[in-house]
Amino acid sequence: MISVKNVSKWYGAFQVLADCSTEVQKGEVVVVCGPSGSGKSTLIKCVNALEPFQEGEILVDGISVGDPRTDLPKLRSRVGMVFQHFELFPHLTVTENLTLAQIKVLNRQKDAAVAKGLKLLERVDLSAHKDKFPGNLSGGQQQRVAIARALCMDPIAMLFDEPTSALDPEMINEVLDVMVELAQEGMTMMVVTHEMGFARKVAHRVIFMDSGRIVEDAPKEEFFGTPRSERAQLFLSKILQH
Amino acid sequence: MSGFDFDVIQRSVWYLFRDGMTFTVTLTLMAMAGGIVFGTLLAMMRLASFQPLAWVAGAYVNLMRSVPLVLVIFWFFFLVPYIGAWVIGEKTPIKVGAFWSAVITFTMFEAAYYCEIMRAGIQSIARGQVAASLALGLNYWQTMGHIVLPQAFRNMVPVLLTQTIILFQDTSLVYVISATDFLGAAAKVANRDYRLVEMYSFVALVYFVISFAASYYVRSLQGRIAVVR
Repeated sequence: MISVKNVSKWYGAFQVLADCSTEVQKGEVVVVCGPSGSGKSTLIKCVNALEPFQEGEILVDGISVGDPRTDLPKLRSRVGMVFQHFELFPHLTVTENLTLAQIKVLNRQKDAAVAKGLKLLERVDLSAHKDKFPGNLSGGQQQRVAIARALCMDPIAMLFDEPTSALDPEMINEVLDVMVELAQEGMTMMVVTHEMGFARKVAHRVIFMDSGRIVEDAPKEEFFGTPRSERAQLFLSKILQH
Repeated sequence: MSGFDFDVIQRSVWYLFRDGMTFTVTLTLMAMAGGIVFGTLLAMMRLASFQPLAWVAGAYVNLMRSVPLVLVIFWFFFLVPYIGAWVIGEKTPIKVGAFWSAVITFTMFEAAYYCEIMRAGIQSIARGQVAASLALGLNYWQTMGHIVLPQAFRNMVPVLLTQTIILFQDTSLVYVISATDFLGAAAKVANRDYRLVEMYSFVALVYFVISFAASYYVRSLQGRIAVVR
């Protein structure tokens, strides 16, 4: 479904991604972790071309992301993305947030788009808030709306860029619950997160990055059992000790 | 105050507002609308990743902001008939008239200022908003039209209106092309009746009241329209 082949990226002279390669199969949940500045967010943003890369190739459902002839808006509309800071549109109501891209990008009728939006809003348990503006919702609620917004597009895969890092602790679980449910339904997911509990529960594979390199790319059991690299061991010991 | 005759105001007030103020307000509103539209396009050009576009818009804005307004009014008044003739392929200069010449001038001139305001407004929108919009599959124009510009515009309404108040005052400079705006109308009466002090005092008062009330309104607006985040 998503295949990353030898991707390298530089900001000026600084290399942020170095020869990264991995695969995400259909229905697979892959967690990407690593210390901050290791390039994990950059990597996931390369997958839907929000960040350009200079070398290598990324294929999403067989379509090359880096190819200048690729219809990027179309490709992006098929890949859902959830951001660290939610990025709901503050000048639009929740319902408008959910329907805008359905109407403008997928050319759905307004009624159909609203129906779809409300259905997914109910799924994240926020139907009562359909006419509110994002600013009147809590962080956890906003992130759940953001997930619903991405799902409205019937994506073939979902990308999560640290979806819980900006949340207050008591709101993290409500967002993770939605994500766990999605994973269990067989959604293809690539998730940048530090939530190792989530990784243990639903991930099939864990990718560990450091200094722009994929240091470890292993099935979950193997990664949590006996990480091969010293760097990953150190990282795990630091974030799992509490 | 025995030498003054404030009756002249009462006698001419209908004329001042019907002819003069109508001209001034129409010119202000048209130049504001045109200036904001053109200025927003300039701002988008200045922020474009395609360098030549950014350069052209930057050069235009810097040029307009570096020349005196009176000079621009003169230039356009004498040049527009020739440019118009050249554009539509006529041999003789077309007739534009003081009003339309002024509308074009003020639109072009104020666009440079509105551009800088809208540029700041666009830059004030978090990059994540653009990323989220693109990630949903919206293209550049849809992202601008539905996500960035509505928020930028809303954030900048107070500054845009403040600039418009300045524009309202600046329109009095059309006296150099003998157009009859509010000040021009008053000047005519003043010269005809030799009541310069009375008329110019009245004009100053009217400009002050309108501009001050408008500024006050803008300030009260500021708190009410901010987008809740």
